[in-house]
Amino acid sequence: MSRKMILRVSVAVLCVYFVIAICAPLFTPFGPAEISGKPLQPPGNDHLLGTNDLGQDIFCQLVYGARITLLFGFCSALLSVLISTTVGIVIGYYGGFVDEFVSRCIDILVPIPMFPLLIVLTAFFSPGVLQISLLMGVLGSIHGIRIIRSQVLSLAQTSFVEGARAIGASDFHIMSRHILPNVMPVVMVKFVSQSQHLLVMGVGLSFIGLWDTTTVDWGTMIQNSYSSGGMALGLWWWLLPPGIAVIGISLALAMIGYSFEEKFNPRVGVNRI
Amino acid sequence: MPGDYITNYLLSLTNHLPKEAVDQFYHQFGLDLPLTEQYVLYLSNIMQGEWGYSYAYSVPVFSLIMEKLSWSLILLLPATVLGILIGTVLGAWSGWKSGGKKDLAVFNLMIVIRAIPEFWWAIMAVVVFAFYLKWFPLGGYTSIDILYTGLSIPDVLYHAVLPVSLMTFFIATGNYYVMRNSMISVIGEEYITTARAKGLDERGILWNHALKNALLPMITITTFQFAAIIMGNVFIETVFSWPGVGLLTTEALRLRDLPLLEGIFLLDTLFSITAMLAADVLCSLIDPRIRMGEDV
Repeated sequence: MSRKMILRVSVAVLCVYFVIAICAPLFTPFGPAEISGKPLQPPGNDHLLGTNDLGQDIFCQLVYGARITLLFGFCSALLSVLISTTVGIVIGYYGGFVDEFVSRCIDILVPIPMFPLLIVLTAFFSPGVLQISLLMGVLGSIHGIRIIRSQVLSLAQTSFVEGARAIGASDFHIMSRHILPNVMPVVMVKFVSQSQHLLVMGVGLSFIGLWDTTTVDWGTMIQNSYSSGGMALGLWWWLLPPGIAVIGISLALAMIGYSFEEKFNPRVGVNRI
Repeated sequence: MPGDYITNYLLSLTNHLPKEAVDQFYHQFGLDLPLTEQYVLYLSNIMQGEWGYSYAYSVPVFSLIMEKLSWSLILLLPATVLGILIGTVLGAWSGWKSGGKKDLAVFNLMIVIRAIPEFWWAIMAVVVFAFYLKWFPLGGYTSIDILYTGLSIPDVLYHAVLPVSLMTFFIATGNYYVMRNSMISVIGEEYITTARAKGLDERGILWNHALKNALLPMITITTFQFAAIIMGNVFIETVFSWPGVGLLTTEALRLRDLPLLEGIFLLDTLFSITAMLAADVLCSLIDPRIRMGEDV
C-alpha cells in the first residue's frame, strides 16, 4: 500500500471515530451507565458486544467512551498547539527581552517530567476530565514553543517580512498573515503527533485510575476488565473492544502524522521514505 | 478522584467520619496550616534532607523510595542497556539503507509498535505468554515457594523475563527513531559525498564518517533514558505487579498518599535535571563543535 493510500485510510478511520462519538445516542439502545441486562453475557442479539460484571452494555460504553477519549485527546492537543504557536510566534518575532525571559522560563520547565507531574497534580486537585485535558494541553505545549520559536527566528529575518514592515504593516498583520502561514506545516505535524501522544497518555492515566470512575472511557473499561480478571475468565468481549478501539485511533493518527511529516519536513524528505 | 487520605481510609473502615480523628490527622501533618506556610515548611524540610513521612506506610518517604528503586533497577537496567543497543544498531542500519524495501518494512513496523499503548502490550503479553501458553508467571516478583525456600535469584529472574523483554522492546523503538533520523540527516551531508568521491569503500564511510556523527544525538537520548529509570515504568510494573517505584506510584495514587507522590516526583525531577546537565557536558566533551561557556 502506498503512503497516499495509507493516509486516506487513516483519515477515513478518524472520521468514522468522530461520527460515532458525535452521534453516539443514535447507535446505542442504552446509556453508558444503564444496567440493561444480566451480568457477563456474551455477545448476542440484545447486546452487540455483551455485558460487563454490572450488566452494562459494552457496546454502549464503547461508543460513549469515544466521546470522552476523543475529547481529552483532541482538546488537549488543540490547546497545546494553540499555546505553543501563539507564544512561539510572539517571542520569536519580537525577540529581545521578552524572548529571553520566556525562553529561560521554558528552560526551567523542560526538565520537569510531564507524566509524573500530571499524576501529582491530579492527585492534589482531583480535577474532572475537562480540567485534566486542559492541564495536559498546557504541559504539552512547552516543547512545541521551542520548535515554533526556532522556525520564527529565521522567518523574522527574511526579506518578505522586512518588506511587509517597510510598507507599514502592523506587527499583528505580519505575524498572522506572513509568519503564521509559513509555520503552519510544522503546527499541523505537531497537532497530529500531539493528539496521538496525549490521547494514549490520557487512556493510560485513566488506566491507572486517575480520574473518577463514574465517567466511562476506554482506559477505565480496560482497567475494570483487567483488574477483575476479565481475560483470565475467558471474557474476551470485555477486554478486547476498548483496546482495539484505542489501537485503531492511535494507529490512524500515527500514520497521518508520519505522512504529514514526510510531506512538510524537508530533512526527512531528502532520502525518500 | 476526590477525597484525601484520611477520609478515604476512615470511610473504608466505618461508615461515619469521626471529626476529631480527621482534625488530629490534619494537625499532626500540618495540613491545617495555610498553603503558603505548608509550602515554606516543605521547602525547609527538603533542604534539611527530610522528605516527609508516607501516610500509608508510616515510614520516611526517602528510604521507602530507595528500597523500591532497587527492585525497579532489576527490570530497568538490563532493559535500558539492551534497548539502547538494539535500537541504535537497528536505527543505524535502517537509516543507512533508508528508502529500501527492508528499511521501509522495519520503519512501518516500528510505527505500529509505537502506536499501540504500552499497557496494552503488557496485558496482551500476560494473556498470551503467561495465561494461555503458561511459559511465564502471571505477575509478581517471586513464586509462593519463597515461604519455604527463601528468596532465590533464579526465581526472581524468571519472573523478570517478560517485563524486561517488554521494556527492552519499548526503549528500542524509541531509540530506533532517533538513530534513524540522525543517520538520514548525516548521510545527506556533503562530507559523505566527499568521502564517496574520494573513492572510499562504503563500509569505511559507514564506520568512520557516518556512524560517528550520527551517534551524537544518541548521547542526549541515552542520558535521558537512564534518568527515566527512577520513575520506573508505571504501566509495566502495574500490569505485572512488580514491586518497584512504578507500582509504588500507582499505590500512592490510589491511597492519596501525597508525601510519597511528592517524594517520587521530586526525585524524578532531580534526576532529569542531572541528566540534562550530564548530556550537555558530555556533548561538549565529545563534539568539538559545541563549546561550553567561553565563546558563546
